[in-house]
Amino acid sequence: MTRYVMVADLRRCVGCQTCTAACKLANGTPPGVQWRRVVDMEVGSYPDVQRVFVPTGCQHCDEPACAAACPTTATHKRADGIVDIDYDLCIGCLYCAVACPYEARTLVNAAEFAYGAEPTAAEAARFDPRKIGVAQKCNFCVDKIDAGTAAGLTPGKDPDATPACVNACISGALAFGDLDDPDSRVSRLIRENKHFRMHEDAGTGPGFYYLWDKDAFAL
Amino acid sequence: MNPMPEKTRRTVPSYCYNCVAGPDLLTVKVENSVATEIGPNFAAAEIHPAGGRVCVRAFGLIQKTYNPHRILTPMKRTNPLKGRDQDPKFVPISWDEALDTIADRLLKIRDAGMIDDKGLPRVAASFGHGGTPASYMGTLPAFLSAWGPMDFSFGSGQGVKCTHSEHLYGEFWHRGFTVCADTVHCRYILSFGANVEVTGGVCAVRRHADARIRGIKRVHFEPHLSPTAAASAEWVPIKPKTDGALMFALIHTLLFEQPRDRLDLPFLRDRTASPYLVGPNGWFLRHPQSKKPLVWDERTNGAVEFDTEGAVPALEGRFTVAEAVETGADDEEWQHREIEAATAFTRMAETMRPYSPHWAEQICDVPAQRIRNLANEYLDNACVGQTIEIDGRTLPFRPVAVTLGKTVNNGWGAFDCVWARTVLACLVGALEVPGGTLGTTVRLNKPHDNRLASVKPGPDGFMVNNFNPTRRGKWEQRPSGRNAHKTLVPLVGNSAWSQALGPTHLAWMFVREAPDNWVRPSYPDLWFLYRANPAISFWNTAELADTVAKLPFIVAFAYTHDETNHMADILLPDATDLESMQLIRLGGTKFIEQYWDHQGVALRQPAVAPCGESRDMTWIATELARRTGLLERYNAALNRGAGGVALKGETYDFSLSTDEPHTVEEIWDAECKAATAEFSDGKDVKDLAWFREHGFYTVPFTRQDWYLYPTMVDQGLRFELPYQERLTRAGIELGRRLHECEIHWWDKQLGEYEPIPRWHDTPEIWTNALKKSGADPADFPFWGLTTKTMQHSTGNNAAIQLMDEVAGNLRTHGRVAINRKTAEKLGIGRDDWVEVRSIVSSTRGRAELVEGIRPDTILITGQFEHWATPYAKELNYPSLNTLVPMSLDLTDATGSGSDLVRVSLRVVEGPAA
Repeated sequence: MTRYVMVADLRRCVGCQTCTAACKLANGTPPGVQWRRVVDMEVGSYPDVQRVFVPTGCQHCDEPACAAACPTTATHKRADGIVDIDYDLCIGCLYCAVACPYEARTLVNAAEFAYGAEPTAAEAARFDPRKIGVAQKCNFCVDKIDAGTAAGLTPGKDPDATPACVNACISGALAFGDLDDPDSRVSRLIRENKHFRMHEDAGTGPGFYYLWDKDAFAL
Repeated sequence: MNPMPEKTRRTVPSYCYNCVAGPDLLTVKVENSVATEIGPNFAAAEIHPAGGRVCVRAFGLIQKTYNPHRILTPMKRTNPLKGRDQDPKFVPISWDEALDTIADRLLKIRDAGMIDDKGLPRVAASFGHGGTPASYMGTLPAFLSAWGPMDFSFGSGQGVKCTHSEHLYGEFWHRGFTVCADTVHCRYILSFGANVEVTGGVCAVRRHADARIRGIKRVHFEPHLSPTAAASAEWVPIKPKTDGALMFALIHTLLFEQPRDRLDLPFLRDRTASPYLVGPNGWFLRHPQSKKPLVWDERTNGAVEFDTEGAVPALEGRFTVAEAVETGADDEEWQHREIEAATAFTRMAETMRPYSPHWAEQICDVPAQRIRNLANEYLDNACVGQTIEIDGRTLPFRPVAVTLGKTVNNGWGAFDCVWARTVLACLVGALEVPGGTLGTTVRLNKPHDNRLASVKPGPDGFMVNNFNPTRRGKWEQRPSGRNAHKTLVPLVGNSAWSQALGPTHLAWMFVREAPDNWVRPSYPDLWFLYRANPAISFWNTAELADTVAKLPFIVAFAYTHDETNHMADILLPDATDLESMQLIRLGGTKFIEQYWDHQGVALRQPAVAPCGESRDMTWIATELARRTGLLERYNAALNRGAGGVALKGETYDFSLSTDEPHTVEEIWDAECKAATAEFSDGKDVKDLAWFREHGFYTVPFTRQDWYLYPTMVDQGLRFELPYQERLTRAGIELGRRLHECEIHWWDKQLGEYEPIPRWHDTPEIWTNALKKSGADPADFPFWGLTTKTMQHSTGNNAAIQLMDEVAGNLRTHGRVAINRKTAEKLGIGRDDWVEVRSIVSSTRGRAELVEGIRPDTILITGQFEHWATPYAKELNYPSLNTLVPMSLDLTDATGSGSDLVRVSLRVVEGPAA
């Protein structure tokens, strides 16, 4: 079996948003829509303060609340753990967005572009009308993973089969791969480091692991 | 989604050098002739310290290319009146008309004389951030070289936005124009405002992340909780501009609270001037005949020349010297017999004795015990006595470093900080050795691409450093440039970079109003502007824009309409990053933390055709040369290396014929061949076609050359520390020359020339400047600071929507960050509009309440408050640049100032109308 997961090493992340920008180009998301973003958080009171940068997005849960809430089965979990949306089935009801504990979903009702009503040449090249009026979110660059694995590549190891955010991450904070492969980088990172999952008590079994070694900080 | 047909997709290798912390390699995905994505270049994963990745700014290059607000045809101004309130009434013109207009102006200038009646070049040029525009301007340097005298005095932030004092003193002391930790080997870093996680580039970010995982400890001192502070083991919210005091206390702790033998005594004795004897007048005692500095030889119990074979110099103490001379300023000489002298080390220790942790606690707002603990941790981690083998040579291993950031290492107090940082390294032998504090590039000495080769032995056992002369008859009394770098700043020298590193704000100030007994400089007849927007990026921006409006003829290479080219006469649309071609050196050791195990060159090439009528800078430069009759000199300059590589070397010759114009491709083909021939001794020549496919070419670079120490040992040289005899001499001579001209307005700066720095209450300089201006310091109770973000630092990308959007994930982006309790006291809530006011102006922004900032400090991120640049002018973000005065009182001896201003704060209704 395969279970794709993301690992974010909070000890490495510096909040540069390179992953955010790479995701936006790779997935052609409109202004304000970020499938991957890094949240800037502060804990404590001056002068005993910690600031931490937390990459977020769809957690690709084992039991995705969004899928359970979806009335059309547009949102579905694949056998490899990736939670995807079939835009042809989605009716934009946003039940999924309400159900998601991670605020990972966005509804785009009208075409919007960086500099007004007209798309730039690059935006026009990436514009996908199927994404209007439907929910959208991170899909772990599923097309790339599928094309890569079909070509015999290993997601998380070979860039052509790896999500854009992970490829772009300059600090090495983001890692991707198969949790069911004990030799994968993500398996090793999770095995060898203290980690947690966000809102684990919600019981959705998120496929997004955070490495963190400071006890004082709790998400 | 319908996938594009395979044949319409391609990936183009290129580079990004939008900040000095590059260049880094990237790829551009092109679909149906449109650039759609930026990505890493994983073909470079094995040779690039960050695995072939680029930072967030590079991802903005797609929008930069297709920004609908670009200027895409040459334009001329039709409104002769200039000013912020004037519509320039730009109208499109042909390239022929634009270039002929410029050429006609230049030819008339040449006929009138290249130098005006005030002795100043009639043509001036200003470029943006840290020399990076040179990697986008194609062969423009060859045109500038062919032209002749050119004034680079008008800065766009140089000197006050860079790490200026580190540039000057760092290069002086250890060929460290930029200085960093040897992060690869380091275990402990004391970081004073060095915001490497934001401005260190991808190499630094990756290395520091790796270091954190392996257990490095970095302690970060900064008044606010920057990303670097956040990623550090400890954040110390130090009071602004007191870093020097804290470093003095660290030195004090090492000198007076630890056994002497825990320091690296052999390093201090053999590699520094610590044992040099200092006479009663403050100058080195010298041999009466050879004039070489003397040391006290413990073996013979007498004074001997510093380079005496077999001598064992005493590191500290006072000794009676039988016969010696002192040589002071202007060759003044004192002859001594039976004179008592102290070693330079002893003089330093005596100066540092009062600066205990307890003393510093009151100044820095940092507990004494914490300072003491940090000093001891630094010493504990220094591994004094240990060695490491690097590429076959055994070197000292000292994995501790002290790093400095902007505002700490420019302006008043920066001399103290750079000196103290370098002395802290010397005390434990951690300067320019594995694990320690390193320089990575030179700009005031040649060759620029090899700092080790720039080391030449001088007469006193130090490296040669070419100061601007200060002796009577040699001093440049009449400035040859508008910022007077040769006249006022001996240390900056007179290299190709020196003028841009002079006191560039003085050029802007003095053309408006000259100080006493100083000839007011003329406005240049023609000003070239490239990748710079000083009306936003410098200080007192309203007044600066007004000064720009007085310049008679401005030629601006223009990306969009902006606040400076608003005053231009001709706008030239140059092809941008993804549309144009240039070769750049990479690897080896370069700025910031760019030290690699490889070196070579990379090509930036058109991934897509230039938009509109924009043209490659190399084409523009060639046309300017042709139309001004300078083609032969222009091509000759290219052959000499003005394009980055000399086209003729010992083993190759790809020289261009000088009597005809060459195409962009012909020129860069020759550069590609010459560069690869240079790196391979002529054995492996790659042409432009090869580079278009592969993108970069590298050869191994020995890690030993990361460090200056082996060169110093091989040449028997010492770092010119701790005692500053040469600087003091230059300062005294400069003072005499200025006073001979009845110039006294530089006297405070002259006071900075001290053999050993002493604490001068640096913060008080700002309150005194307020008092001098007639203001009550109580009316400006806060420190106003600025900081960079990776998204917007350099790169002219305030108009890039993507950068604004992703920067918005950071809480303080586009806002005024205020300590939460301070805000509560003032009745300020989150999102309230606040006005920040200084003595020169005010700026407005929304409040962001944070815990991670000192209560006496407010923070404004980035450089905004645009009023002409499309998109950016709609943002309504505040800018500290609006508030900071250009002031002689706030200018240090190097001609530098700090991004720092005293401000008031109040709630207002909304943005300024």
